[in-house]
Amino acid sequence: MNDSKRFLRPDVLKRIARLDLRARHVVEGFLSGRHRSPHFGQTVEFRQHRPYTPGDDLRYVDWKVWAKQDRYYVKQFEEDTNLRLTLLVDASASMRYGKGAMTKFEYAATVAVSLAYLVLRQQDAVGCLTFDEGPRKIVPQRTKRNHLDSIVQALEASDPRHKTDLTPIFRKAAEAYPRRGMVAIVSDLLVDREGFSRGLRLLRSRGHDVLVFHVLDDDELDFPFSGPTRFEGLEVPLYLKCNPRALREGYLTALQAYLEEVRRACSRQHVDYTMLRTSQSLGAALATFLNHRLATQTRS
Amino acid sequence: MTTFVHYPLLWGLLLVGVPVLIHWINMLRQKRVPWAAMEFLLASQKKHRTWIVFQQLLLLLLRMAAIAAVVLMLAQPVLQSGWGAWLGGVRTHHIVLLDDSFSMSERWDDTSAFDQAKTVTGRLVESLAREGDHTFTLQRFSQAGRPVRGTQPDFLEERVDSTFPDRLKTRLADLRPSQTAVGPLAAMEAVAHLLGQGEGERRIVYLVSDFRVRQWDDPGPLRKMLLDWTAAGVEVRLVQCVQGSRPNLAVRDLRPGPGTRAAGVPLFMEVTVENFGDTPVENVPVLIEADGQAQPALSIPRIPPRQAVKERFPVRFATAGEHRISVRLEADAVQDDNFRWAVIDVPAHVPVLLIDGDPEALDARYLSAVFAPGGPANTGISPRIETPRYLTLHPLEPFQAVYLLNVDRLDRSALAALEQYVAAGGGVGIFLGERSSSQVLNDEWHRQGQGLFPLPVEKPVDLPVDYLQRIPDLQLTDHPIFQVFAGARNSFLTSVIVRRYFSVPKDWRPGAEADVAVIARLRNGAPLVVERRFGRGRVVAFLTTAAPTWNNWARDNPSFVVAMLELQAYLTARPTAETPRLVGQPLELSLDAARYEPQVRFITPREDLSPTTVEEAEAAANGQLRATLVNTDVSGIYEARLVRNDGREEVRGFAVNVDPAEGDLRVLDYPELASRLDGVPHQFQLASRYEYAEGEQGGYNLGTALLCFVAVLLVAEQLLAYAASYHPPSWQRAEVLGGGA
Repeated sequence: MNDSKRFLRPDVLKRIARLDLRARHVVEGFLSGRHRSPHFGQTVEFRQHRPYTPGDDLRYVDWKVWAKQDRYYVKQFEEDTNLRLTLLVDASASMRYGKGAMTKFEYAATVAVSLAYLVLRQQDAVGCLTFDEGPRKIVPQRTKRNHLDSIVQALEASDPRHKTDLTPIFRKAAEAYPRRGMVAIVSDLLVDREGFSRGLRLLRSRGHDVLVFHVLDDDELDFPFSGPTRFEGLEVPLYLKCNPRALREGYLTALQAYLEEVRRACSRQHVDYTMLRTSQSLGAALATFLNHRLATQTRS
Repeated sequence: MTTFVHYPLLWGLLLVGVPVLIHWINMLRQKRVPWAAMEFLLASQKKHRTWIVFQQLLLLLLRMAAIAAVVLMLAQPVLQSGWGAWLGGVRTHHIVLLDDSFSMSERWDDTSAFDQAKTVTGRLVESLAREGDHTFTLQRFSQAGRPVRGTQPDFLEERVDSTFPDRLKTRLADLRPSQTAVGPLAAMEAVAHLLGQGEGERRIVYLVSDFRVRQWDDPGPLRKMLLDWTAAGVEVRLVQCVQGSRPNLAVRDLRPGPGTRAAGVPLFMEVTVENFGDTPVENVPVLIEADGQAQPALSIPRIPPRQAVKERFPVRFATAGEHRISVRLEADAVQDDNFRWAVIDVPAHVPVLLIDGDPEALDARYLSAVFAPGGPANTGISPRIETPRYLTLHPLEPFQAVYLLNVDRLDRSALAALEQYVAAGGGVGIFLGERSSSQVLNDEWHRQGQGLFPLPVEKPVDLPVDYLQRIPDLQLTDHPIFQVFAGARNSFLTSVIVRRYFSVPKDWRPGAEADVAVIARLRNGAPLVVERRFGRGRVVAFLTTAAPTWNNWARDNPSFVVAMLELQAYLTARPTAETPRLVGQPLELSLDAARYEPQVRFITPREDLSPTTVEEAEAAANGQLRATLVNTDVSGIYEARLVRNDGREEVRGFAVNVDPAEGDLRVLDYPELASRLDGVPHQFQLASRYEYAEGEQGGYNLGTALLCFVAVLLVAEQLLAYAASYHPPSWQRAEVLGGGA
């Protein structure tokens, strides 16, 4: 279990340059640490056998094989595509910040590609839209395994710019992916809260299940600076000379208020909200996704 | 008015700019951080801007104030105004007791103990002059040790102002170590009256001395006085000007030795040199001058450590009168004790009275021949042969010695005059003979020990002649008279035959009567020569004749001549006549009012230090005049110029010497000194490391108040700095770290 989680740590992943390989490491590492019961489909088209493990549904035990070989095997079937995942990845200038192993954008991209890999591995469809001040790259939803390359290229080709209101971006996404599905927003959400709330409402009104992965750096959460510092805005042409220790309390208060507002907006729209620190294991993002997927299947 | 103990430290106030400088440098070296969440930062800035600026400005001012307060605290500000007095500042009276005894002239390298003492005194006053409320008294030991003239401090309760250090410096430049040996007790007693009136003022006594062992051997009176002072609120500071003991030689004594003192007769002088060091010294040269003429130097082969050695050297004065002799050692740590002077009164001859009871005066003639042999031989003795009647009719004072030879009887007045003469210091030699009567000797001369004759006698008896000469008839003791015969066997003495003598009672023992000693016996053990001290004088009685009637000693035997000359020297020696005069002690001179004018001019050895004075002699109780010279501050030979009534001038010399004991340079180290001052609160410092103590500042010292102020400032600075920065509680930090997942 510990060895598998090692692959989820950002400092380890940083050593893997290629995003697709990084995603594979994340997903394989994540899955190998879980109970071996992936959610294969329930169609009548047989796909393969695999050894029985405790917890498997006894209905799928192949008794014929048991009779011949005196071993327990369960039957696995091909499943129809029943999930369409849309990744909305923030590629704005504010995502370039990062003092740890990864910048926020690198972390967000890794999360996005890992989710895409996981979804494609399950024969589901995944699409991707990167945005800053507007939609930058739009990758349509596909189920092919090699579709992951398109997503990776879209993420790597992003040129960060300032971002403005999220509402038109989300509207564009809703238009680009009209069929209902799951939308995963990976962003630092340093935007206008009202526009963000309206965007969520729009997505929910189109019938999407929305997941929000809120990526923030440790420095932004803890504000550990000391000594005279000149803070220069990444997205706004402002700078501030100050003693950070004097401003820290006010900063953290404003940050907490902001986070609370984001959480409330998500809660109002029944959106799953997950805060991710760039120093945090990527397993949290995948676990959130799978739990959400399971909850969706249970509801359906 | 506010003054500072350490003015130069005020330059440290420039450090007040350091916080501003640090702030400025930090602003120049600020970090650049590209930042995404500017929104929250700007919100915080907008909300807290005014408070933050106020806090930071206050913090800056606090830090600047703390630095300024620390600098001021180190500079020791002293409040001199009425506020200072209100806060507890008082006038301080500094009393410096400066040891200027001649042991303080000890030199090493290019300084001396006295130089160190002056430096300490100067530095003290320079420090005091920087602030105003001080008075200063300087009392030298040598001045305190002259009660006859009254103690005269160099400065008495002088106000210390800005001009005072220069005045003191001028005065100190003129000061030299004295040649006195006055200890600290006299100086302390001299200033004791100043310490009795300490109402409203602080009093500090500085004992600036060398702290020799000799002066503190009996610390009782010193300790008692110091205890009394400290009990009365006086602070005591001890400053030692010497570290470690150095070797030193001193001439302890110079006096004429025994022997006839007369013009043209060789005289042996005795010089005593003491080694105060811890190691022996060898081949010590002693340079001699007689009447200003250099004499052959004397070399003392060896002087053991802490011991004195006496050596003799001959001098010969051709003329009668006063003669001056001085000896000098080579330079060492202390110079003043390397010199010694003596004034010797050499008469033209020594008159001796020979009283012979026999009209033929046989005994007297033999003695006269010994004392005045005639020809080139000069003994300096002038014998005069008289009958016993002479004692009644003439005074005996002119004679240096009186001999009674074969005298049968003296009348009462003659015996009384003789006894008075001996009691006053005269010497009497007695030889018995056929005319001597045991009854007279016992009843009149001896009188059960009350008279001058040393012992009772019985009758003349014969001593059988020992022709084999197995045992000499004369059995001599180690007495000064016979010391010259000590050592080698002397054939002349062994040939002396005593045939007749006066026997003594068998039960008589010399111990039974005080001051009586048998100094020679016969071979049968009978006393032959007996000495008695009578008053200040001496009586030596031979129980046989001087002439070769009862013995053959005087007949062709040179040892008789030697023994009689030694007897004469012994009888004329008057130890009390050579009382040494020490520096600092008044020189008193008695004059016969009938012969001299009352004006006496005293000429001192150092006219530059002690000018000539003319003293008016005062009438004393005994009808004589008494002239006194009080100022004897330098050693050497003083001259008293007297004017006789006939107009002629007469000069008398007086040798005044230093107290050689002061040459003992052993010093007390501090633990020993502290043990002698057990219970006396004091502070001790070495002059070489003397530092001005802050507590000597007058007025109110703000140092302590500033220390408290600095502490308050630093606490306030820390509290404000803590408040100005952010320290989240642990639960809040955990919440932030956990995020909203």
